[in-house]
Amino acid sequence: MIRSIAVRCWIALASLQVTIVALVLLMALVVLCTLAQTDLGTLGAVNTYMRSFLVMRQVQGLPFRVPLFPGGALVGLVLVANLSAALVRRFEFNPRKFGLWVVHAGLILLVAGEFVTGAFQVDTRMTIEEGQTVNYLESYHQMELAVSDVTDPAHTEEYGVPDSKLRAGAVVPLPGTPITLKVKRYFVNAVLAPRAAGDPPSPADRGVGAQVKITEAPPATSDKEVNAASVLVEPVAGGQSYGTWLVSTVLGAPQSFVHEGRTYLLSMRARRYYLPYAVTLKKFSHDSYAGTDIPKNFSSLVHLSNPARGEERDVLIYMNQPLRYDGKAFYQASYGKGDTLSVLQVVANPGWLLPYLSCALITLGLLLHFGITLFNAIKRREKEAS
Amino acid sequence: MKLAKLFAWLPGLLALAAALATALPPGPVRGFDMDRFGRTPVLEGGRVKPLDSVARNALLMIRGKQGVPFEGRQLGPDEWMLDVLFRPEAADAQPVFVINDPDILGLMGLRQTADRYFSFDTIAPHLQEIQSQAMAAQALESVQRSRFQNAVVNLFDRLVLYNHLENSVQLADSPGLFAELQGLGGPQSAERDRSLAEASRFRILPPLPGQSPDAWLNTGEALIAAASGTPHPALVALATAGAGYHAGQPEAFNRGVAELQGLTANLRPGALRHARSEILFNRVQPFYLGMVIYVLALLTLFASWLWRRDLLQPAAFSLLAAGALVHTAGLVSRILLQGRPPVTNLYSSAVFVGWAAVILGVILERMYRKGFGTAVAAAAGFASLIIAHHLAMEGDTMEMMRAVLDSNFWLATHVVTVTIGYSGTFLAGIIAIAYTLRKHIAPAPDPATTRTLVDMTYGIVCFALLFSFVGTVLGGIWADQSWGRFWGWDPKENGALLIVLWNAIILHCRWGDYIREKGLMAMAIFGNIITSLSWFGVNMLGIGLHSYGFMDQAFWALAWFDASQLVLIALCLMPRRFWAARLN
Repeated sequence: MIRSIAVRCWIALASLQVTIVALVLLMALVVLCTLAQTDLGTLGAVNTYMRSFLVMRQVQGLPFRVPLFPGGALVGLVLVANLSAALVRRFEFNPRKFGLWVVHAGLILLVAGEFVTGAFQVDTRMTIEEGQTVNYLESYHQMELAVSDVTDPAHTEEYGVPDSKLRAGAVVPLPGTPITLKVKRYFVNAVLAPRAAGDPPSPADRGVGAQVKITEAPPATSDKEVNAASVLVEPVAGGQSYGTWLVSTVLGAPQSFVHEGRTYLLSMRARRYYLPYAVTLKKFSHDSYAGTDIPKNFSSLVHLSNPARGEERDVLIYMNQPLRYDGKAFYQASYGKGDTLSVLQVVANPGWLLPYLSCALITLGLLLHFGITLFNAIKRREKEAS
Repeated sequence: MKLAKLFAWLPGLLALAAALATALPPGPVRGFDMDRFGRTPVLEGGRVKPLDSVARNALLMIRGKQGVPFEGRQLGPDEWMLDVLFRPEAADAQPVFVINDPDILGLMGLRQTADRYFSFDTIAPHLQEIQSQAMAAQALESVQRSRFQNAVVNLFDRLVLYNHLENSVQLADSPGLFAELQGLGGPQSAERDRSLAEASRFRILPPLPGQSPDAWLNTGEALIAAASGTPHPALVALATAGAGYHAGQPEAFNRGVAELQGLTANLRPGALRHARSEILFNRVQPFYLGMVIYVLALLTLFASWLWRRDLLQPAAFSLLAAGALVHTAGLVSRILLQGRPPVTNLYSSAVFVGWAAVILGVILERMYRKGFGTAVAAAAGFASLIIAHHLAMEGDTMEMMRAVLDSNFWLATHVVTVTIGYSGTFLAGIIAIAYTLRKHIAPAPDPATTRTLVDMTYGIVCFALLFSFVGTVLGGIWADQSWGRFWGWDPKENGALLIVLWNAIILHCRWGDYIREKGLMAMAIFGNIITSLSWFGVNMLGIGLHSYGFMDQAFWALAWFDASQLVLIALCLMPRRFWAARLN
């Protein structure tokens, strides 16, 4: 009894119907994901439709979100299970089918590669001005509240508090310093404006924040908008409060307080990840076609310095030619400040080789399949001729 | 028998002869050697091209056609350009601005009539109003603009282009280059030269020996250089030609043009050679010719179903072959002129999709010889060249490649393979449409032909899956090389993926025996919708890394096309001659 159910499940899992249904669902998801990009931005749409197991939607009148559609991850998983089952069930050393078998094995690898990418890929950026040396990467989406001890002009000590810890009521001690930060409120996105006469007093009582009216804003959804992350924070050191400060990415002027002769700078910025090596931008070039604004080439000549490994070398990063180093790839992504500033996109994806392997496998399978078909056709023709 | 064979090949040979005849250079107009003037190489849009190309592209953008009928004569692009450059008062009276939007006409107090072309003189009194309306509209994203706002921005852009052209060799109000040369160092001359240098649309004076090959000058820049004591040697020749044209003296004009070209030939022989080849390409208009020949092939084939099939079917095929030859020649010329693989932008993708479909159709016809290959190939070739014809209105079709696309290797592999995938999917869809129409129109069922059509469709879908899949994967590899991710769910990538998925679904349904003949055909027609959306639809979203052309007018064309495909799918699924059964 149980055996027969198991056999049936096995047959159903390996069936062609499941393949077709999964492919149709995937098509629908791709269409939905593409259309949603106008409202949600690429990342938002991909997270909602492709990297989720269920597409959830808030329905009016219900207190919880309802699953409306299987998500890309679920469909992908079903497809991989279905393909693998079919490969195992139908595996036979029939030369007529072996090529197609290899092709489908390659397809499994391709979908697996997308899973690995979705789970492990980290996108960061590195912004360097000409002549500047940078030894950290910046996150595209995460922010941090940075407290920098700038007492010694030769050496700045920095403490970053990631935005995940910046919740109202949180008490964050900075290790190695006497300072503890009391978070009053964190805004993922906010609108800051000069305080008018009739406005209520600002929650901040120190620094520029006292003159600013702060309003919470919904997080940015499109790819073009940027969140103005802001935090209301009270530094406490040695039992003494240094008042409530407003720190935001859109406030340019530095704000600092002094405790026991040491000056601490407060700033809100993209979260940084420090590297054991440094990159110096020697020259950024931006060529246009003669007499036009059409860009012909962007390139960054950088110097890579890794004392731990004794590496000192120059690298030219340009379009379609990234630097692959330390498990990361550095791409020419953007530029600014009258062509003296270069932005490199830095991607760490442990699964970056999978698509290449899968392509090789599929190509091999196709060659095998068509080769065998051709071989058989020629043989048949010879037989007919003789 | 031999006579019949000859008769079959005659139409094709005639079409080829007609095509060759268009390559002959035209004679002088009113004594002016305009063709030679059109050959003058200039630097515009980042590349060296003949002035003729600048004139044609500008006229296409402004008027939508490559000629201007005026006072009972057809002005060619070169003559129009000469008027714009040296006789602006005459050019201003020529009806070159096409205006279709009734609200724009209303803005100028004009009523909509059959005549849609207006001269600059007619528009000039309303320039202020058009400019302020356009400025207001330009503040919005193009997706958010109303139809009127898009139209007014479009008209304003064309007026700006026209104004730039009029101020390209000399200022529109200039008494002539000679006067400017004599007045050098005069009170306002420096300011005039500067504004000319800024307004000029193209650089006509070639770099001098020892200068970089990009150091072409426009006349404004050359006048500024002349004021500081280094006059360009070709400036006087250009002035002679301009004065001759303005005064209506062909000898002076021809002498000036010959001198200018002689100097250019010495300074930049390569540029002149290139200009000569490109002007030949411009004159022949191989894609337009191909379009005409494909229509003839299609009509001949339709006729063959009514009368003398034995004669007309081969004749139609010979016409198709002639069309394919002209089309191929055009494609090869573009590759040589541009030094790039065949597909570099939306325009060339249309040309290439049609070409690949035609070649596939020719092969099918040679395999099955039932006339369907010819019909389908001619229809595909014609349709794609019509689309290309409309896309050409956007400007120079051999524009320079943006930095990230500047890779001949990937253009040749990824782009070409994916485009062949489009061709295959479309071809399968067109065969399915032929099947549908035949099913309802043909007087008696013919199982043998039906089988042939089903076999063809199945084979082409396999072909399309192979190419679209390989092309998409290659695109992923390119994206990984240049943007750091293999797959980013970008709209264009998603479009290509949809084509792959759909073809895979068709084939798996067929292998599982879930669909038979009718289902296969209906699904193949749906492939047309998927491909059209992936090809053009994603550009209309105006987002993503690949959105290289937002086209609002094309939106409705696409909507109508997709609706027609849905009707055809319904027809395909209906029983044979369902309407006749009802009538009886």
